[in-house]
Amino acid sequence: MQHYSPAVERVLDHMSEVRGGKLDLSWMNSNPGGWGVRATPRDERGLGLEDLNQVGIYGEVPDHGGEHGSMAPRGAEVPADTPALGCYDINDKSLVWADNVALLYDEAVARQWSSARDVPWDKLKPLPDDLEKAMCQLCTGLTEVEFIAGDMPAKWMWHINHDFHEVKCFLATQIADEARHLEVFRKRALANGGGLLKASPGSEQLLRAIIEAPDYTTASSLMHILAEGFVLTLFRNGEMLALSEVEKKIFRLCMQDEARHVAYGTMHLKYFLEKHPERAEDIHEILRHGEEAIFGLSMEPQTSEPRAILAGGGVDHIFEGMAKLGYLYTKQVREYLHRLKVAGLDRSSRLAIPLELPS
Amino acid sequence: MLFPSVEWFQALCNAANANPERFRRLGTVDLVLVAKIDYPHQSRLFEIVFSGYHCAGVREVSSTRAAREGAVILEGPFEAWKEMVANIKANGQADLAHTLNTLTLYDTPMRVWAESQLDTDLFYRYQQNLQEFFDSASHFETEFAGPEATSVYN
Ligand SMILES: [Fe+2]
Ligand SMILES: [Fe+2]
Repeated sequence: MQHYSPAVERVLDHMSEVRGGKLDLSWMNSNPGGWGVRATPRDERGLGLEDLNQVGIYGEVPDHGGEHGSMAPRGAEVPADTPALGCYDINDKSLVWADNVALLYDEAVARQWSSARDVPWDKLKPLPDDLEKAMCQLCTGLTEVEFIAGDMPAKWMWHINHDFHEVKCFLATQIADEARHLEVFRKRALANGGGLLKASPGSEQLLRAIIEAPDYTTASSLMHILAEGFVLTLFRNGEMLALSEVEKKIFRLCMQDEARHVAYGTMHLKYFLEKHPERAEDIHEILRHGEEAIFGLSMEPQTSEPRAILAGGGVDHIFEGMAKLGYLYTKQVREYLHRLKVAGLDRSSRLAIPLELPS
Repeated sequence: MLFPSVEWFQALCNAANANPERFRRLGTVDLVLVAKIDYPHQSRLFEIVFSGYHCAGVREVSSTRAAREGAVILEGPFEAWKEMVANIKANGQADLAHTLNTLTLYDTPMRVWAESQLDTDLFYRYQQNLQEFFDSASHFETEFAGPEATSVYN
């Protein structure tokens, strides 16, 4: 006869008691306050995560997450002997929440796309060397930076109390989005006779600042508002500069995702500053650091020159391209300042970089 | 179909709603867009409401202030609108130089704005849907009209 460990033996004993008719069924009477709810879809889009927050206790998001430290679902009865996982140390709602986060999750799920299926790769055509190289260099840079917005949420997600599952679900969609951004730019670089060109040490400075930010909200301000806000404008620019329908579609679809990430970051900072106005100086300080790092990128030829070549329409028109990018830079900075204003942070007089580039 | 008119924008709405699978694939949109067509001495404004997978309605409004809260304004001179719509008709969809993003990026010939930057950002967040929405103008004939034609505010 086979011998099992005491733990397995206990389960086998229990199973034989159940077979003998000794049932427990106490779980059927648990959590009476959470019973009898009927979540309904708000409209034809189907039952969303946000819809679940409209029913009874399930919509009550606590200011301080459960002390039990487990993955027990918010709204369930949690047995007293539930062990803590020992990893949740972001327990205050204000440190991660945004009032639009469940809606953004629902939207993200509904708006996923595929770089294999939704980009008309067969429309790529051979391009003059300077334009193909500029596009490939731009894609090299984007392939390099995109997944910071996957790595940064991944660094913090497992610290976030499980009662704020909406935030975790949204960040999971962001990670999926960034995976797609990484691969779609890699695909474009490798799909038209070119290839990857030169990596960017300057970008790494900014990425490092994001990954080393001391807490989630400073990391989020730096990434969701500053970096992704700037990338959003870069994608708008990319859509305009597109050399074919392929790039047009890539940049447009990425732009949509990026706007969602920026919307979360802006509304998170707003929520955070409403609860912790005394932390505004910390945010100013990290943003100052980030602004300087992002501005420093324009010193790097592999970052700035391909954009100017694409904007001008060729290496012979690179200075016209630079003038166009100057206009966009100002727009980028203004939009960034406006988003911060929505979040309750006025940085207009403290901006660490010029509002306009010297002509 | 006369451009601009409620009927013209309603035709775009009908095209979107008649093809739910296409818009289901693109994903949900929650947005109030005001198309503002500027003439030398006046403007015509059409408010288009998107909700979930549907275009929920079109109406003409007298000013941007009369539009719903959070509206995103897409504005430009009549000639720019005319060129965009004609381009869509000629190509079956906007060509590389006539997409909504391209026309608005440098704030000329068209411009997009809202009271709050987060609302302006919705224009970027739903760009593919909006492009396909306007691209469906390729399905019908458009005649172009001056400011006085069909306006309920004349
Ligand atoms: Fe991205
Ligand atoms: Fe992003």
